[in-house]
Amino acid sequence: MHRKQSWWSARADDVAIAMLSVMFLAFVLQITSRYVFDAPLGWTLELCLTMWLWTVLWGSAFCLTNQEHVRFDMIYMASTERVRRWLAGIAAIAVVLTMVASAAGTYDFVSFLTIKKSGTLRIPLAYVFSIYLLFMLAVVVRYGHRMLHIVRGTHMDQLDAFPAQGDQR
Amino acid sequence: MSIAFTTSLLTLFLLAAIGTPIAYSIIASAVAYLAVSGQDLGIAAEQIIYGIYDSFVLLAVPLFIVAANIMNAGSISERLLQFCVAMVGRFKGGLGHVNVVSSLIFSGMSGSAVADAAGLGKVIIQMMTKDGRYTPGYAAAITAASATIGPVIPPSIPMVIYALVSDTSIGFLFLGGILPGLLMGLMLMTMNTFISHRRGFAADEVVPLRNIPGITVKAFPALLMPVILLYGIYGGVTTSTEAAAVAAAYAFILAAVFYRTINLKNMREVMLNSVKASASVGLVIGGALILNYIVASENIPTLLAEYLQSLNVTPMSFLLGVNVVLLLLGCILDATTIILVIIPLFLQTCRLLGIDLVHFGVVAVINCMIGLITPPYGILLFVINGTTGIKLSEIIKEIWPFLIALLGALLLLILFPQIVLWLPQQFGYTGT
Repeated sequence: MHRKQSWWSARADDVAIAMLSVMFLAFVLQITSRYVFDAPLGWTLELCLTMWLWTVLWGSAFCLTNQEHVRFDMIYMASTERVRRWLAGIAAIAVVLTMVASAAGTYDFVSFLTIKKSGTLRIPLAYVFSIYLLFMLAVVVRYGHRMLHIVRGTHMDQLDAFPAQGDQR
Repeated sequence: MSIAFTTSLLTLFLLAAIGTPIAYSIIASAVAYLAVSGQDLGIAAEQIIYGIYDSFVLLAVPLFIVAANIMNAGSISERLLQFCVAMVGRFKGGLGHVNVVSSLIFSGMSGSAVADAAGLGKVIIQMMTKDGRYTPGYAAAITAASATIGPVIPPSIPMVIYALVSDTSIGFLFLGGILPGLLMGLMLMTMNTFISHRRGFAADEVVPLRNIPGITVKAFPALLMPVILLYGIYGGVTTSTEAAAVAAAYAFILAAVFYRTINLKNMREVMLNSVKASASVGLVIGGALILNYIVASENIPTLLAEYLQSLNVTPMSFLLGVNVVLLLLGCILDATTIILVIIPLFLQTCRLLGIDLVHFGVVAVINCMIGLITPPYGILLFVINGTTGIKLSEIIKEIWPFLIALLGALLLLILFPQIVLWLPQQFGYTGT
């Protein structure tokens, strides 16, 4: 059962693809300039690391469905619809609570870093790390939304359905 | 164990057990720990962010994922397969051997067992089952078993992750995996020969010798990949992270220019799959780093080491014991999780007992790879089931002999550390 992908989620995928592509290209550029032209670049490495951080957090927030995360789902899969509803509900509440509880501390940590700048590009680290705040917000919204579906009685199979994707670990 | 730590462990196990994504379970348990111990809850985010942002080594993970996905989408894997059919298809149990040998070669290009099973595996299973020469279960089982070699022979994503948690050299770890990977291949081929004779699997058509040069020429650019990677890393030309980027770039050039099998549309698909794989692994890595921070601040590895030392365990019995534990965990847990969360607990004990960390790392990674095919939770079994539709029960029925073969290889590696350490030592590794 495939759920049709919305326009927004396709654009979120595009952004993530762009981030990973930039990371890849910056790395290739770095290698080329170092080995072929013997002129090492400093900023490419920082760009790579930033894009890697952003790909992980953006990808987790907007591209991965609940089922696409690394999960231990043996008990869940073996349960009946009724039990699954409970398990998924508890999980969703726990995830939302975690993010909400740590929101203030995380905001302080990130905003404090306005005074610290990154190594070569001299961007305030608060901007670089702000992706984590976006990640937290998105996770709260997504799992809150999931919770809403669970309460409203959407069938779990339907809620868990996702377009089949290659999984690579 | 403090109350905070107990709360944290309970949270982790409870949430993970009910199917919460592992990464979120870890973050929740970390936040619970910080809350109960009265620390700043922002520390969780700090650890995740710096863990991902500060590690040059980790960049190899997404790059190897991209490389493997391009190789599969660009049918580079298939050309390799044709080459292997020409080489070893003529022997008894031919396609079974082809399966193992192609995995061996592919593992020199890719660092992911799942990529191996999903790409090569699907094609070769079709070949093996086409005329009913092999049962689907057998074809799937040997494919799953040979895919475990992927991350043992360099490059290897799990070894990069192990290097991160153990502070060992990736270069030496990679080297240490080569002979063990070959040994695993040998064990599987022996088992395949034995079973093929006993069950009378038909031999395969012999590819005429005059076709071999043509097939080799076609596969040659792909065959060059492992050479480039190994030369890059061990010729001291590139770091392993750079080698990962070179591999991805080379795969892209092969697929786009040489074989002309990749275009903009499937490139989007390749990158999207890579994003998803990188994000899911990356978040677990980030999460595991906070967990390791907590475990370290609770002094658990040292306590465990002292406890084990007070029991007077010998290094050998410790190694055997840890391997049994890891195998059991491998039946229910994901390899990345084990390497990131469980293995760091034992590193301190290894140091105290004088166990070489490269030897330990290679053995532990192989153990975790075997865990990928042990039922009930074996990700490779699921991948093959997902891509070919062969029933899990059929695959599991046929997996046992291969599992025994791989366990035999693992035992040899535990008993004889030199199989792992000889090659690194030739390249100047001085660890004992």
